[in-house]
Amino acid sequence: MTRDEFLIQMQDVLQTDDTLTAETSLDDLAEWDSLAMMATMAFLDKNFGVKVGLKDFIEMSTIGDLMAKAGV
Amino acid sequence: MISFTSDQRFIVTGASSGIGEGVALLLNELGATVIGIGRNQERLEGMKAKAKHPENVFLEQKDLAEDIPGLPAYVKALKEKYGKFQGMACCAGLSGIMPLRAVDYDAMQKMFAVNYFAHVFMVKGFADKRNNNGAGSAIVCIASRGGVRTDPGMTSYAGTKGALIATMQSIAKELAPTGLRVNCVSPALIQTNMADETSRQYAEGKYPMGLGKVSDVANMVVYLLAEQSRWISGQNYVMDCGMA
Repeated sequence: MTRDEFLIQMQDVLQTDDTLTAETSLDDLAEWDSLAMMATMAFLDKNFGVKVGLKDFIEMSTIGDLMAKAGV
Repeated sequence: MISFTSDQRFIVTGASSGIGEGVALLLNELGATVIGIGRNQERLEGMKAKAKHPENVFLEQKDLAEDIPGLPAYVKALKEKYGKFQGMACCAGLSGIMPLRAVDYDAMQKMFAVNYFAHVFMVKGFADKRNNNGAGSAIVCIASRGGVRTDPGMTSYAGTKGALIATMQSIAKELAPTGLRVNCVSPALIQTNMADETSRQYAEGKYPMGLGKVSDVANMVVYLLAEQSRWISGQNYVMDCGMA
């Protein structure tokens, strides 16, 4: 998928109608809780075959970092 | 006293008859706005005609088993149309006897589609925080006594209800931090169209207090949707008049 499609699909993953960008900080998102983290892990695995663990989230602070991990 | 306001909207599936109709009518009588979903438009209208506050009843004709993966988007579309939801009662279900020698894969899949998968995907849609009112919102699924204490010949039905109870418990635990509650109600045989002659004869002599009434189940479902049950989630309540 494209970066734009990733951003749109992440809205459903995070259950938010806010526009997301590569610069959006995960910690700043009100929706960024443990459920969102699990949903993101499932999303990356299902769509990109990329397995991330809780430790990986320490190094990822923006949606852009998620996209880089996904190889988008 | 349980009461609701008309800006508290509840989705009720299977609203055109039986338990679903009873739940829809009771919610409406107590002040809530009900979005009743069913396959049969005529029967849905029959339900609305019995409502105490018909101006707070909205009907949506839909076969939930038609496009199961599309159900979360369907709930989102309902929210766009009506506004966020306070609760949901999933009452749609099929019944049927299927002894082991008659076990049929297609028939089982159809029953699982309506009794299990449709409920799960409707709950997925409801639980999206954009579609509900947040903490205090509640879901009730109608399972069955047959999902925990079952009889010979209920291979498929028992499986669908047992699966529903287990899945809803897991979902309830997952959602508890958000304040969303999920519970199941598992009635034994209730006097509705689904209780046909075969099952009535089977029940003869087994029910110390006679068959159950729709109002018995509706009262329980409405309690579990109301704030009075705010501390209850992840449970399954069997209603069977204390039968053996």
